[in-house]
Amino acid sequence: MAARTPQQIADVKKSRWATQIFLLVFTVATLFPVLWVIKMALRSGQDFSTDLNPLPTEFSLSNFADIVGDPLFGRQLLNSLVVSVSTTLVGVFLACTAAYAFSRFRFPGRRAGLMAFLVTQMFPGTMMMIPLYRILDVLGLLDTVPGLVLVYGTTSIPFSVFMLKGYFDTIPKDLEESALMDGASQFTIFWRIILPLSRPAIAVTALFSFMTAWNEYILAATFMSDERAYTLPVRLQHFVGDYTTEWGHFAAGALLVSAPVMALFFVLQKHLVGGLTAGGVKG
Amino acid sequence: MSETAATPGPRTPGTDAKTRAGFLGPVLALILAVFLADMTWQRHVAAHADACTAFAADRAAVAIALADPAADPAGADPTAAWAERGIDAVGLRADEVPGQPGYLDRYHVVNGLGLSPGAALDPQSLLHKSIADAALRARAGDVRPTPLRIGRDGATFDGLQRAAVGNQTPASAEVRVAVARVPTVDWTDEARAGRLLLILAFGGACLFWLPLLRRRPLRPWFGPVGAAVALTLIGAALVAAESLLATRVFRWAEGITQLAGQGAALELPSAAAVFAAPVLPLVLAGLAGWYTHSRRSPHRAAYAYIAPALVGMGALVLAPFAFGVLLSFMKHRQGVFTWVGLENFWRILSSEGQSLTDATSFYFTLGVTVLWTLVNVVFHLGIGLGLALVLREPTLRFTGLWRVLLIVPWAVPNYITALVWKGMFNQQYGLINHVLATVGIQPVAWFSSFFTAFSANVTTNTWLGFPFMMVVSLGALQSIPRDLYEAADIDGIGRWAQFRHLTLPLLKPALFPAIILGSIWTFNMFNIIYLVSGGQPDGATDILITEAYRLAFEQDRYGYAAAYSMLIFVVLFGYTLLTNRISRGVEEAS
Repeated sequence: MAARTPQQIADVKKSRWATQIFLLVFTVATLFPVLWVIKMALRSGQDFSTDLNPLPTEFSLSNFADIVGDPLFGRQLLNSLVVSVSTTLVGVFLACTAAYAFSRFRFPGRRAGLMAFLVTQMFPGTMMMIPLYRILDVLGLLDTVPGLVLVYGTTSIPFSVFMLKGYFDTIPKDLEESALMDGASQFTIFWRIILPLSRPAIAVTALFSFMTAWNEYILAATFMSDERAYTLPVRLQHFVGDYTTEWGHFAAGALLVSAPVMALFFVLQKHLVGGLTAGGVKG
Repeated sequence: MSETAATPGPRTPGTDAKTRAGFLGPVLALILAVFLADMTWQRHVAAHADACTAFAADRAAVAIALADPAADPAGADPTAAWAERGIDAVGLRADEVPGQPGYLDRYHVVNGLGLSPGAALDPQSLLHKSIADAALRARAGDVRPTPLRIGRDGATFDGLQRAAVGNQTPASAEVRVAVARVPTVDWTDEARAGRLLLILAFGGACLFWLPLLRRRPLRPWFGPVGAAVALTLIGAALVAAESLLATRVFRWAEGITQLAGQGAALELPSAAAVFAAPVLPLVLAGLAGWYTHSRRSPHRAAYAYIAPALVGMGALVLAPFAFGVLLSFMKHRQGVFTWVGLENFWRILSSEGQSLTDATSFYFTLGVTVLWTLVNVVFHLGIGLGLALVLREPTLRFTGLWRVLLIVPWAVPNYITALVWKGMFNQQYGLINHVLATVGIQPVAWFSSFFTAFSANVTTNTWLGFPFMMVVSLGALQSIPRDLYEAADIDGIGRWAQFRHLTLPLLKPALFPAIILGSIWTFNMFNIIYLVSGGQPDGATDILITEAYRLAFEQDRYGYAAAYSMLIFVVLFGYTLLTNRISRGVEEAS
């Protein structure tokens, strides 16, 4: 690099400052809605805050107390937990072996299978929703947790297959080959070598499955009409529906519901980008 | 493998026995599955009969209870009025009491029994139970006058005494009933058709598990694909049979409701057993067939590994998909589906006779969707890439901090984002109008014109979408060696030229899949449209997928909405083919 005159160095410094200021302004603007939800949650009222200062001026926990004290909240929290955990288990259990097969075996129907998994990713939501709604209705599974798990399974299985396949592809084959030399069976290799090695990937996939189910709104809102069967997103939406505007409760609930998964997201987002762009899977 | 160890002599019979066992298992399972399918279906139909009986009894009770003697002109035969409504029926008759004109007694008895208009039969009362029983028999076609057991229910007897015969004790307690004979439902055809469908489907499905057909040229088709096809077949047949039956029953129930007024809803029994019971032997058959007959197949292990996911996908994705295709050829009205062929597609593609620029026209909505996708992707990419370039400056401090803070919108669940922004755009209390007011601009009704409502949606979606592009761009930028820029600096190439001829071409391979992915996400971004603008004004800002949702779940036009969804899929699929995404994805995967 050519030597710089003092003038040039000053310019660079100035532009660095300008960049930092730009980033500061942009970030504050970006974070404004979030800060402002926190502010509303910490106020005691239910109306919409119109204060331009995004920092909390009041520290009341009454909204949180209201939410947690609501007997239905416990029930709905349980619904959300059971639905998300079951969806994750179903997805990951079914996907582990399939992802391994797609990654390691060459068999007739492999391309077709992968293609089919990709195509299901393009189904518009309503295309599955309408038949699923009728089918669950016929099977008497509307308004039930198992019904919603089945519905979420339609997206969690292909998602998990792609995430895991992407990871299995990165595990070197030498390991398996040497194990095969030592007389291990195919299943032993899968069970004793591949699965333990992929524990982090399985954890990441499971957590993403969990988050997707945890944050899902419209399917739950459509398939659950009984208040006791709601999941938390449906409950939150009802705080600010057409006839009620309990913004304080909404904000407190939103923080309670989303803070844990947001924290998870920050830990895991790097893996998601890799998995998504490699496998071409929608979140 | 084990054969090589065996001596040539006993080998042949051994293989034979093995083949026979491998053949017998699936065949037995097939027979068992078909048997179970048939049995559960018969029981299912019987359960429907029970449900209908209960429903009819309830309606008969309602009809009796609604009968109001005061409303009928004196001397008219009230049963005639009810007969006009299609209900032959109604009322009790004290034939044994001499000198009493029949129809008058019916009334008095009915009222005397405490059946006030609108009341339902009391299940605790023996007399009421008798009325209901008589109603049931009458429903089954037995309209003979039925003796009414009054039994030891003293209070009821007193009531009957006083009311029926004007304080005269009836000669006998045998009061006759001519009861609500509700038109019966005849579903013999449907039950038979459903039975046939199920047996055929299960039988056909079993063929895919049968090892007989898994001979060389066909083998790939009778492995996992066959299993999936079989499950689809069963699911589709069950749904078709069930909807045939339900259609008939619902139509019947609707007729009765029109005649007899509202009552308890018709509760149809669950069809879960019909599906679950026969699937078990099928699964066992599949396993058995697999075990015995694909031993020598080099792909056995692979199929075994993908089998669980495949069964799951078959049941959860393929079967509903097949049913969705079926629905798109049907029309739905009040629980009843009728086959209309291509009418739905024709109506959608001809905008239902509306002008093409009408907000409900498919083409208008498609145009809005394309515009929505395009604008969003441009904003996402522009802002995301711009920020990535800024954050990439080698001498910049705190990049990690800025990066984390700027990802926050992506981490917020998008339904929460949508609800918050909807509040911000609210005309009365929204923050945005509040800010505008401080600079002296009148409050804007954001959702009353297309442009402002669309902008509100785009703002929300841009907010939540740019971090993804930023992260992807940052990752891709990191893989570009810095030496290239230093070389360019030395050569005196300007910033813009560097970006244009160095950065962009190197970013393309990473950005392209992200753009495709982002555009498909945006194309299907249901929550933002549905929760922020809600399609306002008048559905103008609806995109294809929210429009399909409204058609199905707000207007109950399931068939039409299913056809609409198929068209959306076709559009998406065409787009993806265009970008060659699939083949690239598979190539990468291979």
